[in-house]
Amino acid sequence: MRLYVDSTKCSGCRACLVACSLNLFQENNPKKAALNLIPHFPAPGVYEMKVCTQCGDCAAVCPTEAIKLNERGAYYVDFDECNLCEACVPECPEDVMYVRAELANAAWKCNLCGDCVAVCGTGALWIAD
Amino acid sequence: MKGYAGSILRVNLATGQISKEPTPAEMARDYLGGRGFGIYQLFKEVPKGADALGPQNKLIISTGPLSGMLIPGGGKCDWTTKSPLTGGYASASMGGHFTAEMKYAGYDSIILEGVSPKPVYLLIEDGKVQLLDAAHLWGKGAFDVEVEFKHKYGEEYQIAAIGPGGENLVLYACINHDFGRQAGRGGVGAVMGSKKLKAIVVRGTKSVEVADPEGYRKAGMALYKACKDAEGLAEWTRYGTTVVTSWCDEVGALPTRNFSAGSFEGGEKIYGQTMRKEIVITDKGCFGCPCPCGKYSHMKRYGTYVEGPEYETIGLMGSNLGIADIQAVGEANRLADDLGVDTISAGNCVAWAMECYEKGILTKEDTDGLELKFGNIEATFALIKNIAHRQGKLGNLLADGVKRAAEKIGKGSERFAIQVKGMEQSGYATHSATSMLLAYMTCDVGAHHNRAWAITYDLQVGRSLVVPEKVARVIWLQNFRPMFDVLGACRLQWVELSIDRDLYVPAMEAITGIHRTWEDMEAVGNRIWNLTRLFWMRENEDFGRSWDQPSPRFFEEPPKTGATAGQITSYEDVQRLLDMYYEQRGWDNNGLPTPATLEKLNLAQIAS
Amino acid sequence: MPATIKAYGMLKTYLHGQNEASVEHGLTIRQALAVLGIPSELVAFVIVNDEQKSKDYCLQDADIVKVMAVMGGG
Repeated sequence: MRLYVDSTKCSGCRACLVACSLNLFQENNPKKAALNLIPHFPAPGVYEMKVCTQCGDCAAVCPTEAIKLNERGAYYVDFDECNLCEACVPECPEDVMYVRAELANAAWKCNLCGDCVAVCGTGALWIAD
Repeated sequence: MKGYAGSILRVNLATGQISKEPTPAEMARDYLGGRGFGIYQLFKEVPKGADALGPQNKLIISTGPLSGMLIPGGGKCDWTTKSPLTGGYASASMGGHFTAEMKYAGYDSIILEGVSPKPVYLLIEDGKVQLLDAAHLWGKGAFDVEVEFKHKYGEEYQIAAIGPGGENLVLYACINHDFGRQAGRGGVGAVMGSKKLKAIVVRGTKSVEVADPEGYRKAGMALYKACKDAEGLAEWTRYGTTVVTSWCDEVGALPTRNFSAGSFEGGEKIYGQTMRKEIVITDKGCFGCPCPCGKYSHMKRYGTYVEGPEYETIGLMGSNLGIADIQAVGEANRLADDLGVDTISAGNCVAWAMECYEKGILTKEDTDGLELKFGNIEATFALIKNIAHRQGKLGNLLADGVKRAAEKIGKGSERFAIQVKGMEQSGYATHSATSMLLAYMTCDVGAHHNRAWAITYDLQVGRSLVVPEKVARVIWLQNFRPMFDVLGACRLQWVELSIDRDLYVPAMEAITGIHRTWEDMEAVGNRIWNLTRLFWMRENEDFGRSWDQPSPRFFEEPPKTGATAGQITSYEDVQRLLDMYYEQRGWDNNGLPTPATLEKLNLAQIAS
Repeated sequence: MPATIKAYGMLKTYLHGQNEASVEHGLTIRQALAVLGIPSELVAFVIVNDEQKSKDYCLQDADIVKVMAVMGGG
């Protein structure tokens, strides 16, 4: 299972980002979300959304093995074991592996909780095999 | 204080001094946020008689407890000031992503005071706040400014900027954000321009704490679920506010040729379904919105892009100008946004000038050569530019708003200047819709629809009826609907999707830790409504009933065509509406709150 | 096959609490509303098979029509 996105349906509202940060960190802070929204305005006037495909490339290079599989079959970061080395960041083909030391003491990524899908009103996000 | 950012940022443009103070707990308790914070601070801090475009006026930007939270539509930001257009209270609500960013940066309000000696912009990065030189940006369109800042600082920054309209003190200049969202009405952009503040650039990376995290998550998710389960979600999202254009045309509410009628023979060319087919490319949502009404459009003929046009702009820059061409309306919309003038007021001003021209009150000599007939698209574009730059005789005249322009030109043109309190009327023709007419007459910023909207109610109970129930409905709406602007959220989830408003109650409680029913919040709404009235009274010695009168067009001139042909509200009925309204509000016969009313609303002290 | 008219929100009261009703195809929306006793002027918009249509649209075989009012408004 993984998260999918249809960027043409995304309206750039960022509800998914708030829901994501709330689940990952129990905080309201879209800057600490694991989806990547890239607006292209004023032209051509489209939103581009990037999401984790659960490819596992991040986990493969993690020297502390902090990126593990959860019960949903998704890779997640075990915050206690991450040392902020950033090895995972360049490996991510979708730019949704985050290390921002000024915001959090560990790397973060999508753990497939599904809360982003629950708040998306336009059907841009869904979970499937 | 849970649910709030906790601080107020104060920026003195004259001295460059920047300070932070804690958000007063009593203000949060009695005025909640957003529009409430705006009027409370305006009333307290701006001295009586201050020049709206002078150093004593302040521009107050406020978020609310629902702003930036997991709440559908928590993206509304209030901009309050003394209006240069009306001389009274102005509060403009802006969607987009600014309010969330501002709250995450740590601020419930930003108070801008004084006048800068040179053009500057305000850069806010959490606690780090700077005033920086904006000489190179002065004169630029709002879109260019936003592009430049997005390149310079990055996508995580949100920007609010004025165009030349604000710089040139067009009295209905707006403030632009996110390539198409505005704080539109009342001339908030002119106040920003008078302070020589070109833009505000903000990034916030902090978290906002709530009182009950688990309850908050549950309540927020329940609101999103209600929106997603709502009948009509897909339809509203597909067309946004433009979905009602055809219906407004059908029932005679679509402003046509300077509100001389409410139905437009070319309506089909500007309906929502036409627009969706011809120009819309993307749905564009404000912060946290599951039902984005924003439509982003590409006008192929002009090679340009705009967010919109939404219903109001279609009405005021389409049918009201006799323009039956959705691409042209879109381009007029883009020009107004980029140049930084409010489409509703500008549409009214151009329409009034067109009527003057067709009646021979204005000639080509007065219009700087423009053939200003209804339907002339190129003349419309040229005039919008002239207004924003205060160029030419007519551009400069119209930049002061339709009331002043008509006073200057005279010759009976005052009778068809469509405004209340000096603010041009928004997009509903009110020849025969008495609740809606009263809503415009008594709206606390001038002729604007967002406080109370009652067209369907008028049709249901009888459009020309003048009965206490209609008045009560308007008052209830005026106390209730603006509470969304107080809470920092959008009302359209309730308006469009008809979600149960009680779903907001547990969300508010979980966020702030204080239980408030809608009755409690309506009481706050009533207090705010009366405080705005006190502000008008304080700033205008002759303030009273004469300020609540509609444009004579709505009691003198029944439309000749369309659904409301031959229909009109009599002058006597207009006054009866006011009599009933004042009585139900607890105001005297001149429309001034009585001491007993002020006492009841806990406003006696502030009033003295 | 008849067309189906689905009434939303306050318009349901005109269908005596039902959510939908069948009408013969060949009628215009305006005529269908009259047959059903739904006041046309309270219907703010009409969606036929996911597209907004005018009330003069002529109902086709098996159309699904949603009719909605705007109570909250602008």
